[in-house]
Amino acid sequence: MRRTAAALLALTVGCVLADSAVVTLALPEILERLHTTVGQVAWVLIAFNLVLAVVVRPAAWFFKRLDPAILSAVGIAVFAGASALCAVAGSLDVLIVARSVQAVGGAFAVVGCLQLLVEELSERRGTAWWIAAGVFGTAVGPVAGGLLTDAFSWRSIFVVQVPIAVLAVPAALVKRRRKGQELAEDTPKHRVQIGPNIALALLSAALTAALFLFVLLLVDGWRRSPAIAAVTVSVIPLAALFSRPLSRKLRAGPTAETMSGCLLIAGGLAGLALLPSAELGWTIAPQALVGLGLGLTLDPLTLQAMDGRMPHFLHGSWTIAARHAGVVLGLAILTPVFTADLQNAQPPAKDAITALVLDAPLTPEDKISIAGGLSDQLKEENGRVPDLDPAFAKLHVSAIEKPATVQLERDLNDQLQRAATHAFRNAFLIGAALALTALLSLIPLRRRGGER
Amino acid sequence: MSAFARLRSAALPALSVVMVGGVLALQLAHGGGDYKPLRPASSCSAQPVSSVSTGIDGLTEQLVLIGVDVAACQLGMTREALTLQLAQPGTHTDAQISALRAGLLSAVDTMKADGKLPRASQLTREAVDVSNLSSFRKAAIRAIPDALIDKTLTTDDVLRRTINDLDLRTLLANLSNRQQLTAQVDAAVMKAVLARIADDLH
Repeated sequence: MRRTAAALLALTVGCVLADSAVVTLALPEILERLHTTVGQVAWVLIAFNLVLAVVVRPAAWFFKRLDPAILSAVGIAVFAGASALCAVAGSLDVLIVARSVQAVGGAFAVVGCLQLLVEELSERRGTAWWIAAGVFGTAVGPVAGGLLTDAFSWRSIFVVQVPIAVLAVPAALVKRRRKGQELAEDTPKHRVQIGPNIALALLSAALTAALFLFVLLLVDGWRRSPAIAAVTVSVIPLAALFSRPLSRKLRAGPTAETMSGCLLIAGGLAGLALLPSAELGWTIAPQALVGLGLGLTLDPLTLQAMDGRMPHFLHGSWTIAARHAGVVLGLAILTPVFTADLQNAQPPAKDAITALVLDAPLTPEDKISIAGGLSDQLKEENGRVPDLDPAFAKLHVSAIEKPATVQLERDLNDQLQRAATHAFRNAFLIGAALALTALLSLIPLRRRGGER
Repeated sequence: MSAFARLRSAALPALSVVMVGGVLALQLAHGGGDYKPLRPASSCSAQPVSSVSTGIDGLTEQLVLIGVDVAACQLGMTREALTLQLAQPGTHTDAQISALRAGLLSAVDTMKADGKLPRASQLTREAVDVSNLSSFRKAAIRAIPDALIDKTLTTDDVLRRTINDLDLRTLLANLSNRQQLTAQVDAAVMKAVLARIADDLH
């Protein structure tokens, strides 16, 4: 029973932290269904991360005074209720409000679950479970969200969270304290570890490029389905899982692990910035680097920030605040860069498309028809990378011209993919720079290693 | 820290550097740095043009492709940018119209120099076939032998007359209307042919 309760609490932590990126693949569908704009729909992602980052540290304050089991159960219940509200939201405003409430409940839930897991298992094992659940949730979030969106709808992402959270409420209450069992006054209060938390924030900002921008590139830039995108980005969590046996085999130590991880994330993001084509195969190696880096950094850095530090909930809350502030920082830095670059990519893309249509081995009438269809499509997509299929579907060409038309459509799609990929380049490179900055922030840690 | 421990702790960073370097080198070797949209060629350097169409359609297309290039060069922009501007509905500037007309006239010279212009008789026969002239006039023109037409008319002259007579603003407004566009070009060619014949008869 205790194991089941611990597993449910860990699963809840995974759910809450997966929520920071779980809607990424669903954003295009939400945008369409709720009739909104790209700028507004981004708040579905930003609201959760921002509120979680802001609320989680003050939430820890309540754990000093109140029973963690009660607070956790209330937090999980609020999270479940807000998830249900997200699932039935009929407008973007309601969805954003529900996401904010979800984050408030989630903040109490993750901090409380840490304390309960430590009390249930042991300090070391409870912390390890909590960290592992968080890393797993972060890495798997976009994959799960994409698969659910493709199989059912964006609403299903939130529906599946409800039963997990509902089951976790009694699991949290199992550890309810008896009267007089409050946190001891003489519990040591350790100083917050600045270095690992800064590194966590910077890495989370960098990982936003991989977990958010890369997904956008796949779905909006390359026009892959959410399911294909979900399967593609599953390379990241798989590589993250592989990082543990690798580091165990090399026994490099936490400093070498975290530094290597930062380097791998930076290298992986640089790889995503320098893709030679829009073939999914080319994304595997850069994603594997990011995944390995994620596995080598988030886990040890969170442990460095928390290991042996009391009270657990306080130090845990700092790591969560740092990570989600990092996500918000990443979105704040990267979103304007890639949206501006996407805007700037339109004229060269239009020029390339025009050149291909003008030089296509088709009759002038067909060229004019295609140009008209493409123009309508560009207007309809309103700044997004257009889907050319409808323009070609309406075209009636002779059997002799069919191969040239098919070739033209392929070439035009290639130009659009080139333009979209190029538009994301600067954002990925900035992500790489953030990961390298995280590496720099770790250097003083090594010098002061003996003090810890 | 022992030498072995130091070596062991350096193994993972070293492996990371090798992996990152390997992936980036492989991607760059396969054009990772150059994956961007095609850049349009300069409109001021002559580009080869061709058309899958034959007759007046093919000739018109080649003239337009060369003409737009020349006009774009004159206006200091790419052929693609000018095409997109011309394709926009609404009024076009005098500079655009004048550059386009000059470009089309220049295209006639280029095609004549390259020996790509069809014989006048060929052009006339096709224009007559699609024209809305009365059957009597069609029959009269068809009765003129090819040799006489080619002696009387030169293709470049007919085309120059056509281009000068064409209402380019209306032509651009009709771009999306296939029937009106063809009718306008064919009518202009026929008018130029008849005007040239009339000049000779005087």
